[in-house]
Amino acid sequence: MKKLITGNEAIAYGALRAGVKAVTGYPGTPSTGCLSSLLAMDLVDTHVEWSVNEKVALEVATGVAWSGHRALCTMKMSGLNVAYDTLISVAYSGCDGGLVVYVADDPGASAGMCEQDSRSFAVMADMPMLEPATVAETYELTKFAFELSERIKGPVFLRLVTGIADSYAEVEIEEPVLVSQAAPLLIKDIQRYTKAGAVIATNQHRDLIQRLEQAGQITDEAKINKLSLSRKPGGLGILASGIAAAYLEEGFEAAAPFGFNREDVSTLEIKVVHPFPAAEARKMLAHCQTILILEELEPLIERGMYVEAQRMGYRGKITGKLDGVFSRIGEYGVPQVVQGIESVLRLGIPENLLSGNTQALKLAAARPITVCAGCPHRGTYIAIDKAIKKLRLKKNEVMVTGDIGCTILGMNPPFDLIWTEISMGASVSLAQGYVHAGVKTPVIATIGDSTFFHAGIAGLVNAIQHQIDLTLVIMDNRWTAMTGMQVNPGTPCNNGASTYQEIDIARIIPALGIEHFWTVDPFDVEETAGVIHQAMTLPGVKVVLARQECAIQAQRQGKQAGKVHVVEENCNLCKLCLMVTGCSAFSLGANAIEIDPELCYGCGVCIETCHHDALVAEEV
Amino acid sequence: MKYDIFFAGVGGQGILTIGEVLAEVAHYKDIPANFYPSKGMAQRGGFVKAQLRLGRENVGPNIPQRGADMVIAMEQSESLKAIPFIKPGGDFVLYSDIWAPTAVALGKAPYPTFAQITEQVKLAGARLVHIDPGQLPEYAGELVHANLYVLGVIMGQTALGTLIRSEDVEHIIQTRFKRNTEANSFAYRSGLGMPLVVS
Repeated sequence: MKKLITGNEAIAYGALRAGVKAVTGYPGTPSTGCLSSLLAMDLVDTHVEWSVNEKVALEVATGVAWSGHRALCTMKMSGLNVAYDTLISVAYSGCDGGLVVYVADDPGASAGMCEQDSRSFAVMADMPMLEPATVAETYELTKFAFELSERIKGPVFLRLVTGIADSYAEVEIEEPVLVSQAAPLLIKDIQRYTKAGAVIATNQHRDLIQRLEQAGQITDEAKINKLSLSRKPGGLGILASGIAAAYLEEGFEAAAPFGFNREDVSTLEIKVVHPFPAAEARKMLAHCQTILILEELEPLIERGMYVEAQRMGYRGKITGKLDGVFSRIGEYGVPQVVQGIESVLRLGIPENLLSGNTQALKLAAARPITVCAGCPHRGTYIAIDKAIKKLRLKKNEVMVTGDIGCTILGMNPPFDLIWTEISMGASVSLAQGYVHAGVKTPVIATIGDSTFFHAGIAGLVNAIQHQIDLTLVIMDNRWTAMTGMQVNPGTPCNNGASTYQEIDIARIIPALGIEHFWTVDPFDVEETAGVIHQAMTLPGVKVVLARQECAIQAQRQGKQAGKVHVVEENCNLCKLCLMVTGCSAFSLGANAIEIDPELCYGCGVCIETCHHDALVAEEV
Repeated sequence: MKYDIFFAGVGGQGILTIGEVLAEVAHYKDIPANFYPSKGMAQRGGFVKAQLRLGRENVGPNIPQRGADMVIAMEQSESLKAIPFIKPGGDFVLYSDIWAPTAVALGKAPYPTFAQITEQVKLAGARLVHIDPGQLPEYAGELVHANLYVLGVIMGQTALGTLIRSEDVEHIIQTRFKRNTEANSFAYRSGLGMPLVVS
């Protein structure tokens, strides 16, 4: 059946077609849609879970694969960094059931974080990595990835970039195959499944290298990469890796009016990005006088090509990033194909053929990302600000470390509160470093609930052990919100059919031996500010749990915190409410501020900002 | 037929839904399509863009600059981000809604005027199809969904209307949204029948 699905969903359907027994992962843009689509299917024979973090997710998936069943593990590139300790060990051990690790990279960094090229991780782990050029190919390669994993008896990477992960296209989907109900293999083999000692580790390393070589042979035989040599030798050869291949035809069309002839060009579309497709690369080198390499981010394929060229005594020219033609930053598209052709063939294609008027962009209003109307974090930011002022300090004198997720939005106006963002859970550990460095003013760390469970908890344990003076504010909105509302261990489990156990942060903190611990409602800004102020004056580790459900998610369940009404005759349009809260439910009317009833959640945080009693709570 | 559409707006306007409906029409009519929505990081009120590429079997998700046959923009300032992508001679559809960022509302930052947008569209050599939010009709006492109205205008007044059939768009709207079917049809048809407003 033909379906309109995303690249993420193509992996989900491909895995179902491969009879996957378990799917684990942690949300991260742009990879999230794969696992969330499977969760929405209510599968009976396949276990699907959002794990507490990527390392845990991979370990759960590995247990399934070591028992002889098929498993898929999903994450974004930053998550792969978290899982990597485990992954190297698993790569060394290999697996019996197919184990596919899906990682999504983000050239152009549209979701923030980084332009990390995870292909280099495949090199470091000696693991095969497959990368499709389109959504339809994603489905096919997912099925193949499971087969390849079982044939080499080792884990296999599947990599997508944002443009494929989030793109919708038509894919021919087959029926899922029945999930194997075979008894799990219980293989007791310390030579494979432990790492104790040089003999075990070096033997595993040897096997790992052999598995990668075997993967190269299998993918060569299966002709996963698409090689097309021109009839006449001696012309241009183009290697396009992953998504770059999807722009070739369009680039050729654009270059055609300038004398470019597609028939004279050889192409190698690379979908096995590791191991390097040496045999096909050598055919290209033997056939072509000039080589053009199209790949986003790092010059990985390009370096492989230089190695083969050296081994063959190639005398032609290789064009890519290493000779300065292309940038290692950002996404590729049709312009790069055309630019590459022009730099090699010199057809006289004008530079501005595919460049529009970017002057217009300078006129656009800046639109910094900020919290939604009704977001409980707004109250927490304002409360921290008030607490700092109560101590007669200025915002630029108090270090407030930030963390990953919606909680980071306090870095932007009107709050301008948060100073740092590193990685999941880093806020609380980084704060300790500032204390050791001798910062005399109180140090505050902020973190969200899912991030706390993911990796923040370890940093908190460290702070307690080493008796650091810091205040940790956990902004618990009960959901993993920024990636689009996934559950985490603290998400209220209020539907009877749910299969997970909710874990209450309010019970974890006292159990760690923290004496100064408060739970507050961030919609009550005065109380929250008072508690944070008090915490900042006390020694040791203090934890403030600011708890209130994400407004978007609450509204979806029909909840409403209250209702705020504008008393028009009292409003003098001083805009203080807007200045303090930056709430998008406000707009400027002719005589008074206006509140959009659709957007307003009635959190009431704005009420006390008004000195003229123009904002009042209505009974609901 | 090869036809590329670039969308720009802010989260919460329903602009991505226009793209989804058109992608579903393509799917329904066996037209090859790639639809690439890009939401950024904000849940609501942040910049969103999308790219719909119709008519190519194997196609990358990104439209090159000067490559879009049509731009659909639903926020005045964000429409500027689509200017580099419009093809000379293409249709630049602007629903000139204004979502002022806080700094603009506070008078601390400038916001582009409608005249500035018009000038940029002209410089890009495109045809401006302007939809004034004030002309949005009401159905049963409530303003209709702007996105479906805009979709109607597009089908009525741009080249896309000659490439796909309006009945098919309406069919997808009807099957996709189970609630408020009459209001949705009304919104779409009102847009479709809007008198020509090209500047």
